[in-house]
Amino acid sequence: MDRNQLIKWLKAPAKMSHKYSLHAVYFCTGCGIIEVPPSITARWDAERFGVLPAASPRQSNLFLITGYVSVKTLKAIIRTYEQMPDPKFTVGFGSCPINGGMYWDSYNTIKHLDKYIPVDGWIAGCMPRPEAIFIGVTHLWTLIDKGMANGYQKYRDRYKYYRANQEQVLGTLDWPPLLPIGDGNE
Amino acid sequence: MNKILRDELQSVFGAVRITTPENTRVIINAKKDTVLPLLRFLKEKGYQHLALISCVDWIEAQELEMVYILSAYLGSDHAFSDKEQTNVILKTRISRENPEFQTVIPVFQNAEPYERELHELYGIRFKNHPRLVPLFLDREYSIPPFRKDFDTRRYVKEVFDQVPFVEKEAEKV
Repeated sequence: MDRNQLIKWLKAPAKMSHKYSLHAVYFCTGCGIIEVPPSITARWDAERFGVLPAASPRQSNLFLITGYVSVKTLKAIIRTYEQMPDPKFTVGFGSCPINGGMYWDSYNTIKHLDKYIPVDGWIAGCMPRPEAIFIGVTHLWTLIDKGMANGYQKYRDRYKYYRANQEQVLGTLDWPPLLPIGDGNE
Repeated sequence: MNKILRDELQSVFGAVRITTPENTRVIINAKKDTVLPLLRFLKEKGYQHLALISCVDWIEAQELEMVYILSAYLGSDHAFSDKEQTNVILKTRISRENPEFQTVIPVFQNAEPYERELHELYGIRFKNHPRLVPLFLDREYSIPPFRKDFDTRRYVKEVFDQVPFVEKEAEKV
């Protein structure tokens, strides 16, 4: 263990544990997933940074959205995100989830992912290299340290608006609300 | 090979127009009622693989052009003969106002998903298709989205850009 970090460990052990055990959901969308197999295997070895792919969303806390999000995929993303236990961190990967990318005027691709689920960080590029994933991970460490990677809390606080946005694009949803929807004043 | 095929086609189906822009590509322009007999004929000639059914929207002519691409399987000697390198492209035009066409499933079984795709993206109704339901899309569109008069930018403005940012909505309250 790094001696310099000892104080951090004693001050906030939970945060440090979250930082170094990021388990990513095996979720593929778009073309960015092609960068993930070399990142998690021997060539770049994501385990150096504590990132491992997990078998199920119920066992993971890192959600990489790796490409454009079509309306049908958005439904799967929301269901996956709601199954993940807190604390959970979402990272948009590539320019398509940020603002649509080259699909900015597509008839079936949503443009801003953060209108539907909270996103803690973005990795820009088309496509980002595996190195960029690791830079993104180190930035996420900083955010967790400072308590700024709080997308899951935002999702709870503003669930009413997220749910309204999801319903606006997907029509009626097949599943009941995750949290009770109040009048928004709480 | 292409010459033999051309002669045979013209002797059996007199009215077809055949062009060969490349050595390995034969384009057949046919009337829409000769499509099924032509496909049967080509299948008997060894072009047994329906690679793709595509569609082109000619909006000035108010027509939709169906494109069938056929190729032959590699023989047991694994040598590329002329026939095995050739793609046969069969084109026909149908009306855009009333886009109805016969299905080619009796000849090529694998046409089913292609025709479902064309049904949802171009709005072509295939007669006697057993399962003409949406293939990819989850939403309803007023105009089929691959047609030329479908304005994607306006659609994006009306649908996806209307969704507000959560932060801005929360600040309003």
